[in-house]
Amino acid sequence: MIERTVTIVPEDGLHARPASKFVETANEYDSEITVKPEGSEAVNAASMLAVTGIGAKSGDEVVLTADGPDEEAAIEAVAAVLTTPESEYE
Amino acid sequence: MTTQSDHTPLTTDLVALEGAPAEKNACIEFLLDLAADAGRVTDREQALNDLLAREEDATTGVGMGIGIPHAKSAGVASPTIAFTRVDDGIDFDAMDDKPATLIFMLLVPEEGGEEHLSMLSALSRSLMHEENRDALHEADSPERVEEIVLEAIDE
Repeated sequence: MIERTVTIVPEDGLHARPASKFVETANEYDSEITVKPEGSEAVNAASMLAVTGIGAKSGDEVVLTADGPDEEAAIEAVAAVLTTPESEYE
Repeated sequence: MTTQSDHTPLTTDLVALEGAPAEKNACIEFLLDLAADAGRVTDREQALNDLLAREEDATTGVGMGIGIPHAKSAGVASPTIAFTRVDDGIDFDAMDDKPATLIFMLLVPEEGGEEHLSMLSALSRSLMHEENRDALHEADSPERVEEIVLEAIDE
């Protein structure tokens, strides 16, 4: 399992399009991916309901973990969503 | 939180246990009508545009049978939650492809700051628990729904 702490860049926080893209990306990998906000429990990054429940804002730190055969690529991809401004999304 | 209807986001007149159309945008309009009839909406067109713009950005079909259309809008007078359920489910474009059976509409005034996001996340956390989803499916009165939802957002 690998772990990485990132600071959320998109202005909307982990909400709306960034949240949707984050969950979509998490679903593209075989590894189990979690996201943990400060002071709360880690949740499944592949669940939109769980991610919406975090309510993380721009500037908040979250801890990502990935565990599985493609964990390095997975954590790289989900971290990229959280650290890229929404205006630079494809 | 007071018991005055102006200050409680969800009151029994904002709950429809049945009768909602089984199509996403029509269901959003149905919930907006509930809010308008309850005197929460000052500009229906503005509120609808804001809700649909949010859906355009990314669907509020969050999976596990839940849809939470929401917006911050100049067309609404006070923080408002309207609720309905559709037993057969509505296609809400959810990533898990599950039709939405429990649908909540959240509206907060423009000056509401981050209030809609905290209501949204509190409600979402509550709905992660199967027993809360079951309770909403089994609720036999708007009063019971009011009780469940207000408890969910008042954590």
